[in-house]
Formats: sequence, C-alpha cells, structure tokens
Amino acid sequence: MTNLLEIHDLHARIVGGRDILKGINLTIKAGEVHAIMGPNGAGKSTLSSVLAGKPGYEVTLGHVLYQGHELASLGPDERARQGIFLAFQYPVEISGVNNMYFLRAALNAVRKQRGEAELDAAQFLKAVKAKLSLLDISEDLLKRAVNVGFSGGEKKRNEIFQMAMLEPALAILDETDSGLDIDALRAVANGVNRLRDPGRAIVMITHYQRLLDYIEPDFVHVLSDGKIVASGDKTLAMDLEERGYAHLASAA
Amino acid sequence: MTIVKSETTPYLAAYQAAIDTTEPTWLRVRRAAAIEQFSVLGFPTRRDEAWRFTNLRRLTKAPMPPAHPATSLPDPDAGVIESLRLAGRVCRLVLNNSAVVAAQSSGVDLPAGAWFGSIAEALETRPDLLKAAFATTDPAGNQPFAALNEALFTGGFLLALAPGVSFDAPFEIIHVNTDAASHPRCAILLGEGASATVMEHFTGSGAGWNNIVTCVDLGVGAKLHHVKLQTESPAAIHLAQTRATLAQAASYDSTVLSFGALLSREDIQVVLAGEMADFTLNGGYFLGGQQEATFAPFVEHRVPGCSSRQLVKGVIGGQAHGVFLGTIAVRPGADQTDARQTNRNLLLNAGTSVDTKPELEILADDVKCSHGATVGDLDDSALFYLQARGIDAATARRMLIGGFAADIIDASGAGETIRQHLHRHLSVWLEHLP
Repeated sequence: MTNLLEIHDLHARIVGGRDILKGINLTIKAGEVHAIMGPNGAGKSTLSSVLAGKPGYEVTLGHVLYQGHELASLGPDERARQGIFLAFQYPVEISGVNNMYFLRAALNAVRKQRGEAELDAAQFLKAVKAKLSLLDISEDLLKRAVNVGFSGGEKKRNEIFQMAMLEPALAILDETDSGLDIDALRAVANGVNRLRDPGRAIVMITHYQRLLDYIEPDFVHVLSDGKIVASGDKTLAMDLEERGYAHLASAA
Repeated sequence: MTIVKSETTPYLAAYQAAIDTTEPTWLRVRRAAAIEQFSVLGFPTRRDEAWRFTNLRRLTKAPMPPAHPATSLPDPDAGVIESLRLAGRVCRLVLNNSAVVAAQSSGVDLPAGAWFGSIAEALETRPDLLKAAFATTDPAGNQPFAALNEALFTGGFLLALAPGVSFDAPFEIIHVNTDAASHPRCAILLGEGASATVMEHFTGSGAGWNNIVTCVDLGVGAKLHHVKLQTESPAAIHLAQTRATLAQAASYDSTVLSFGALLSREDIQVVLAGEMADFTLNGGYFLGGQQEATFAPFVEHRVPGCSSRQLVKGVIGGQAHGVFLGTIAVRPGADQTDARQTNRNLLLNAGTSVDTKPELEILADDVKCSHGATVGDLDDSALFYLQARGIDAATARRMLIGGFAADIIDASGAGETIRQHLHRHLSVWLEHLP
C-alpha cells in the first residue's frame, strides 16, 4: 500500500520566529487512525497548521509528501480540494455567510477537483440530509451564519459534519475534544468513527487521552519539543495518562 | 447689499433663462428666494464642517448649469431598463435626466386617493399636492445644493397617498442620468395611516451631475419602506438630500446602497416630530477606484418616545474614500428617546481611506443613545477557514465581503423581491472586484 502522507525531517516555524517543529518523521497510510499527543507547547498545533497550509508558517527544513507529491507548493485551498481536511480547534465565526451556502461552495469546489459534477441546491440538500443523521445536528444550525452563535459543542459537531460532506482522504482533527462536555464528546466521536474508512486516514491531535477512549487509534505518537519522542499502539496513551509526559520529554 | 459668489453666476443665468411665467406664483416666489440664497451661499468649501471631507473641486472649477432650452435626449435603451427593473407587479416611472419617459413607464390601477407621476405632470394637474409637499418640508434651508435644486428643478416624481390608502405593489422609479446636469425634485407624501413601498434606482452613463432633493412627509401612523439603489456611472457626481418629517407613530424604513458615481453624497435629514415615530436607516457604500462617498444622516428627535436605528457600512477598495458624518440630535424635552447609530468600514487594501464622525447631541433626560464606528480589514482567520474547505482565495474574499454587507439588505422591510434585487446588485459588484 502506498503512503498517503510522509513527513521527513520537518522543521517549521512561525515566520520570523524560532523553529517549533525540529525534525518530525511520520508516515501515514490510508485507513489508519493516528493520535498525536503531547504537552502544551510541543508543537501540535504548529504541525496541523503546517499540514493545512496556514499562512504565517514556514518550513525551514525537510518536506512533506501527500499522495506522493510535495505539499509545500500548494495553497490551503488546493490542499483542501485534494482531500486534506483540518477540523479546527477554534472554528471561526463568519457573520453574514450562511452555513449551507458556504458548505455547498466548498463541496462543489472539492467535487470539481475530483472531476465530479457540481450539485445544485436540491441535490445538495439531499446530500446534507443523508449526512445529518450521522451527527446530532439540527437543520436549524445549517440555516444560520457559519459558526455564529454556535455553542462550543455545536461548532465541533459542525466541523465533523463538514468532514462528512467533503469526504477527505486525510482528516486532521486539531484538539477536537477541547471544550466539549462528555455528551458532546461522545456525539463527535461517534461521528468520526462512522467516517473511518479504508480509503481515509485520520490524525487526531490531542492533549488528553480522553478522546482516545472513544476513537481508538491504530498508532499513538508523542510529540515533545518539536519532535516525536515515542510511538506505539494505544497502550502508549494509557501509559501517558498514568505517568505524564515529563519522563518522555527528558528522555528526548 | 448682499454679495453674490462669483461661481454662482452661470447658475443665476440658467435660472433667469428658465423662468416660466406659467408656473404658479407661490412656486415662482420660492424659486426666486432659493436662487438668491444660493447666490449668497455659493458652493460649500472645506471650511464648512459638514463638507470638509468632500472634494467638490470638479463642480467649482467647471460650472455645469442645466442646458436651456432643455435639449431633448434620446430615450434610455429599452433593453437596459428591462434589465434593471423589478420583477413582478410594479407601478413604474422611468425618468431620463429627471424628465418622464412615458413609453417605458407603466402603471397599475391605483386605488382612489393615490397619485403617482412626474413632477411636471403634478404641476399641471395637481399643483395642490406639490404645494403641500413644499409646505410640510423645510425649504432650501441653509444648504446651497437644496437651494439650487429648488431654483432649477423641472422634473422628478411625486407620490401621494391619501389617509388610509395603502398599496401592496412597490412604486419603482428608475432615474437615468447622462452627461447632463439634472436637478430632480421628488416627494413622497403619505397621509394618516397610509403605507407604501418605494424603490428608486439611479443609473446612467457619462460625467453628469445629479442634484436631487427628496421630501418625505409621513402622517400619523403612516408607514414607508424606501429603498434607494445608486449605480450611476463611475464618472458621475451624485448629490442627494432626503428630508423626512414623521408624525406620531409614523414609521420610515430607509435602505440606501451606493455603488456608483465618482463623487456621491447622501444627506438624510429626518425629523421625528410626533411621539412614537420610528426611523430605521440601513446604508452601504461600496467603493473602488477613485470614488468618494459620503453618508451624512442627521436624525432629530424633537418629541418624547421616538426611536431611531442607523446602520451604515462601507466597503472600500482601490484608492477610494468613504465618509460618514452622522448626527443624532435629541432636543430638549424629547425624553425616552431610543437612538442608535453605527458605522462600520471594511478596507480592502492599502491606499483607501475613511473619515467617520458619529455624533450625539443630547439635550433631554432619560434617553437611551448609542453610537460607534469601526474600521477594519478582512479577517485573515476567516479567510483561512474558508480556504481550508477548498474555497479559492478570491471567492473566499467575496464571500466575506458579501457577508459583511448582507445584513443591511436583509434588514430592509421592503419585501423579498426587492431584497433579492439588491443582493443581485451586490453580487455583481463583488464579481467585479479585482
């Protein structure tokens, strides 16, 4: 099986700052679920930002191959159209832009890239209804402006709903569990589990082991001071829960 | 002896040449007073506080008196009018440099007590209505452009609904302006309990000058939805004054969107003269290139218990300049006033500028007044969010700008057809953004 994502000796920083990522190596195949854990300041959010192509970050060394192609030259919108999806830690509120209108524009941009016909309003609505059942999302939420006035849980559910609609090859969930109560966490995790697919890789970036109780990863990696200092299966996460990050960080 | 400002001489000559002895005496008296006032005032200068951000150089350098006798202009292109008009059942008047174009206007059966037509026709058949329009609104005041309009107007429209008359279809006025100088005088008079929706669209070509005065008089409990869409030529000058007086419990819902003209100005003067009267303004200026637009709403609370809301948004690109000069004046005794005023500006690039001056003058007790202004750029995090879903940068920008402006259209009570019409114009403008 070919590798979906290959990260080789990746060094990256916020433009003008010091390196935050200091040599990441990671290979992800389709169908796999990876968890990347680590303490605050380890570089977890920088990694997701760099993979999604967020402006303001720069790669200083190393490279990232996605589906065998260099990622660096692609803008964030091109990455998304080619199947990379970032579920935001803090989904952005966009007043005046209707959620459905936004999502249809996004879906049609992605479909166009895949060589599929664009959906008209009626076809889109049908597709939406089919996916709504996946998550506990009320249709009312879709009629509002993007994320405006959504609760923390609604915002995260909306992210996973977008993921369900866009059907990415690589989904990066950035601290998707943060700010969720246990019911919302369960709903979001159920949605993600239903989106597990042999053709899709999922990368969960999280501070806590809690999320992994609901979405069971195939691999767990520990990120500390910009490097992966340990990799293993899900038992590594349980070990971390007991002993904390400190001993790993000092080992690195 | 009064001193006549030299720049007014060509306009005095135009006034002299246009004197029409068949007009009613009361009107000729008013015109004479107005031209005298204009000749003393001259054009405003940057020393006038209300005009210090407005560049009138083109008008003061090269006089643009109206042609006399009025040259007959070809009718506007029928296809263009067809593409501009509102869909559905509408009572329509097309004005070409303020003169009515009968072939392109179309009526529907008006109820008894309703009158809608050109100012020229009103002068001939219903001078009483015109006289009423002049009686209830402040004459020229201390404003040179209003004085000049009063002295020189020949066209425009008049809508009058008698007490209790309401009309469900919108009254649509398409004003086409070309290279000429035009001074339309318009009036909307609603009697007690009457209600109407008026949609005005100003469009045209060339480097003309449109100097408009619109009088709005709302009787007790009358209700007006008034929409103005300005898409004049990018070389035009568009100066508009709206003067509204609201009686008790009257409601005036005004939406003004400015896309066109090199230089435009909206002076919107509203007097809340009867208790429980309510005024809403949703305004927007959408500028690029070298455009300059001013919104100057002046809302006067004269009596207790009235409310007013103003939301004016600007989207400014190119090297354009937006100006907001808003005033809420609460007169002594106008207690329990509830007034709000907000101006928000979105700057699309470096090289644009904005001057915003929201002001409160409060001389009453127990009032609720607020005002505020913001100037900002597009939100980078929102832009990234849209791009991270596959939407290209240019589309994402347009989405965000459209989202910024959408609520000023959505807030209009003028009905879904008109709101869609306005959204379409906004979309067209967005599509042409560089």
